[in-house]
Amino acid sequence: MAVLTRGAYALPGTSLDFKTGNWRSTEVPAHVHAKAPCHGACPAGEDQQAWFGLLQQNNLEGAWRELVSANPLPAITGRVCPHPCETACNRVTLDGALAIHNVERWLGDRAIEHGWAYPAAAPAADAPVVAIVGAGPAGLSAAWHCVRLGLRAEIFEALPEAGGLLRSGIPPTRLPRDVIDAEIERLLAVPGITLNLRARLGRDVTLDGLRRSHAAVLLGPGCQEGKDWSVQGAVPVDLHEGLALLREFMDVGAFPPGDRVIVHGGGNTAMDLCRMLKRAGAGHVTLVTASGLPGPETDPGDVINVVPRELEEALEEGVEIIAHATINRLIMKGSKVTGVEVVSLRKLKGADGRTKRVSFEGTERVLPVDLVVPCVGERVSPEGLEGLLRGGYLRSVDAWGRLAADGVIAMGDARGDRGTVAEAIGDGRRAALAAAALVAGAPEPQEDAREVLQANALNTRYYPPRARSAAPKLPVEARTFEAEIEGCIGSDAALAEAARCLSCGNCLACDNCWTFCPDNAVIKTVELARDGSHYVFDLDYCKGCGLCAAECPTGYIQMVAEA
Amino acid sequence: MTDETRLSELRAKFGRVPPAPDEPSPKPLTLREKQPRFEGLVSGHRACQGCGEALAARLVMESAGPDVMVANATGCLEVFTTPWPQSAWHVPWIHSLFENAPAVASGMEAAMKAQGKKTKVLAFGGDGGTYDIGFQALSGMLERYHNILYVCYDNEAYMNTGIQRSSSTPHAASTTTSPAGKDRMGKRHLKKDLLSIIAAHHVPYAASASVAFPADLQRKVRYAMGIEGPTFIVVHSPCPLGWKHASALTIEVARRAVECGLFPLVELERGSLSNVMPIRSPRPVRDYLEVQGRFAHLMKDKDPRAEKERDHLQALADYNIATFGLAGAAQDANDTGGAAAVGRGGPLVGGM
Ligand SMILES: Cc1cc2nc3c(=O)[nH]c(=O)nc-3n(C[C@H](O)[C@H](O)[C@H](O)COP(=O)(O)OP(=O)(O)OC[C@H]3O[C@@H](n4cnc5c(N)ncnc54)[C@H](O)[C@@H]3O)c2cc1C
Ligand SMILES: Cc1ncc(C[n+]2csc(CCOP(=O)(O)OP(=O)(O)O)c2C)c(N)n1
Ligand code: SF4
Ligand code: SF4
Ligand code: SF4
Ligand SMILES: [Mg+2]
Repeated sequence: MAVLTRGAYALPGTSLDFKTGNWRSTEVPAHVHAKAPCHGACPAGEDQQAWFGLLQQNNLEGAWRELVSANPLPAITGRVCPHPCETACNRVTLDGALAIHNVERWLGDRAIEHGWAYPAAAPAADAPVVAIVGAGPAGLSAAWHCVRLGLRAEIFEALPEAGGLLRSGIPPTRLPRDVIDAEIERLLAVPGITLNLRARLGRDVTLDGLRRSHAAVLLGPGCQEGKDWSVQGAVPVDLHEGLALLREFMDVGAFPPGDRVIVHGGGNTAMDLCRMLKRAGAGHVTLVTASGLPGPETDPGDVINVVPRELEEALEEGVEIIAHATINRLIMKGSKVTGVEVVSLRKLKGADGRTKRVSFEGTERVLPVDLVVPCVGERVSPEGLEGLLRGGYLRSVDAWGRLAADGVIAMGDARGDRGTVAEAIGDGRRAALAAAALVAGAPEPQEDAREVLQANALNTRYYPPRARSAAPKLPVEARTFEAEIEGCIGSDAALAEAARCLSCGNCLACDNCWTFCPDNAVIKTVELARDGSHYVFDLDYCKGCGLCAAECPTGYIQMVAEA
Repeated sequence: MTDETRLSELRAKFGRVPPAPDEPSPKPLTLREKQPRFEGLVSGHRACQGCGEALAARLVMESAGPDVMVANATGCLEVFTTPWPQSAWHVPWIHSLFENAPAVASGMEAAMKAQGKKTKVLAFGGDGGTYDIGFQALSGMLERYHNILYVCYDNEAYMNTGIQRSSSTPHAASTTTSPAGKDRMGKRHLKKDLLSIIAAHHVPYAASASVAFPADLQRKVRYAMGIEGPTFIVVHSPCPLGWKHASALTIEVARRAVECGLFPLVELERGSLSNVMPIRSPRPVRDYLEVQGRFAHLMKDKDPRAEKERDHLQALADYNIATFGLAGAAQDANDTGGAAAVGRGGPLVGGM
């Protein structure tokens, strides 16, 4: 038998004794779970990437639970939200942003249909109770998040029904009443939430009383009062303010007579009102707005503040819009208005750097009208809030909405610089966090300070092309006061949309790093690793080449400075 | 041979008896050992950061192993995996000379045959060892019809001895023996069309593959492993040191080579073209050249010679695209787009 010399063999795998990790010079790969841009842009704080990930695993209920961990009203927001998430979506650079709102709506509806339970344990019987004023989206969201944080929530709502502007402002063609009923009813059934209807702050309860009886007071009364409106001092006798008119119509089902109507202002109220007036049979409905229409020439900050698809549908339906203009003069016959003088204007920066509205002489034109409706915004009704209002609103300088009065937190439209359901929902969540911190005696609530993943951190090479799905829409002729205009995307398209998600900033379990590491320094694990992925860097061997980071489609691997 | 005897033979060969799922294993397995793949080439090897050849060999071993043995020609792969007294190989492995890996493998295969064993013999060589000095041994191996899979790790120069040009070095690339300068724009000659010469041996299977398309590469290895007879795969394997690109760009560079048409991915059976990977959207050769220092002299916009050589390389790429029919007609699950597609849970098999 031949005897081998030492040099002729090696123990199997002995190179594992040689740790090449010390070859790394300056950088080391790391898993970095950055915020997906959709998540970063969502005013309600949803992590769309997270629930799309669960949908990709066909875990529908899990996806809904993840969604409602931020936003308890997805069937509602899926219908009315202007979806800044889609504007931010990184897929826009490939073949179109994800149709996030359609999928959100589908998932919300599915939860209602299947009766999925809201995921929160009932708070302890002796848990501190937080008082919430107003059962609009802000108040409802706050109640839900209080319960998630182990607190009890007691809501005081002036009206006989919960919902706020969802019910009294947004028309059923965009948000059917049975959807509001179903989603809110399910939310209010969550143990730990109580609702007092016909309980008005300032009449039935007082702020001081609530501060004494409750651990914190969260104020979400919205903006209920129309702002004063006149043109150079003139006010028609038959003045109807926009939101009041819209509410009246929802109750009574009729508008004051008039074939030529001019709506003055911008925003959702103006847009909905124009569309309803047109549908009710007015021959000419014209919106006069100081803002511009979306387009390449318009500065993004100057674009009319409405949900983009609302604007599109309004134009489809024949609403006329005079952009960058205002009403200069009312032409009255006695105290009734018969015409308006419209003048072009621009918002321009003055010498002091402040934006001013400048109207241009010589652009005046007179339009005959039967009715002029101002929609220039609303402010908080002061009842019960005396001493807290500044310039008509519950202004707060911090993100949490905390006011000067201890333990009093403002949220939603009432803050004055808000205006969407999703913002109200996000405010409700933050207010609940601030209340929980207060109860716990913690100095500051915690903010998620992670960075948003930029599109250039992705390696989009690995994503197969997939076109965006569209939801069906009622044709203009078939639109009524009741029938919902946008339809449901359907399960197949919803799951196909979810499959389009690039998983920005979070591991997709694609195996690229595991496949491509020339040094076997990426280890795939069966159990979840500590960071939630299935991959671990073996830094004993990683040479720091950066290949895994370059080929990670999602940007989840980044090269960071060596510790 | 019954499965039982074969199994005990394998157990004897690999030392440890894999425990049955319900048997308590004596020592808890490490995360590395628990991985669901065969590691024939393990960590701790001394390849440069981002080495395409190390990656290619690892991918080949995963799909070929474990019942294989390897004859390895001299070159980087041999050197960086076996610094005495260590080895990164988890299979029987032998190194003899630069020029004789196919001959050594032929002997190993004959020995296996004599013993009635099915262990497949692999022969590995660099482009220098394959296109140049080991070429006649390879031709003999193919002609004698040995049951061997030969894999050439093509990094387009003699890297282990300091980047000397080989017959595989592409036209116009600068190496230490074809330096770019006043007299020449890098290598004067063309890259040898080795695959056609291999195909002329009428072998059952010959293919080109790239580290940028690992699923395609591994499919080709598995296919070749299933054939009894001589088979050949050349794998395009970027060398960050010799090609002068950042180590993180190894895959990107390899991908661009395929996407511009300079390194076509094709399969030949019995000498006839049987399959190609269509290019979803061909990109200009310039995209491939500009990320590598070995072509830096071609990026000088004021030098008319640079423009001429760029056009020449583009013409070679266009020639490949036309000759092999690489221009895909429509998006296809197996084209350069579909073959790379991933989804949640891994590569999209047959993905678009
Ligand atoms: C016509 C119209 C269309 C809109 N369309 C959209 C849209 O498409 N998308 C979108 O995102 N947003 C839209 N909005 C805006 C959106 O409805 C609001 O931003 C959102 O409802 C604000 O929620 P909130 O909870 O702050 O206030 P609200 O919804 O106004 O709710 C406040 C609640 O507090 C109650 N309340 C008030 N005062 C008291 C008191 N003193 N005591 C007790 N209870 C009180 C009110 O009765 C009400 O129920 C629209 C608004 C209007 C008017
Ligand atoms: C007969 C002989 N000539 C020269 C050498 C020196 N030598 C060792 S490796 C090598 C180059 C190998 O090039 P290649 O085959 O392309 O492999 P690579 O290192 O590029 O992977 C040379 C020239 C040798 N070992 N034997
Ligand atoms: S691709 Fe997915 S994770 Fe990325 S922004 Fe779009 S929805 Fe969010
Ligand atoms: S590919 Fe491997 S060696 Fe390179 S940085 Fe990533 S883990 Fe480290
Ligand atoms: S390469 Fe793929 S598997 Fe690896 S971290 Fe990135 S997404 Fe996850
Ligand atoms: Mg070589």
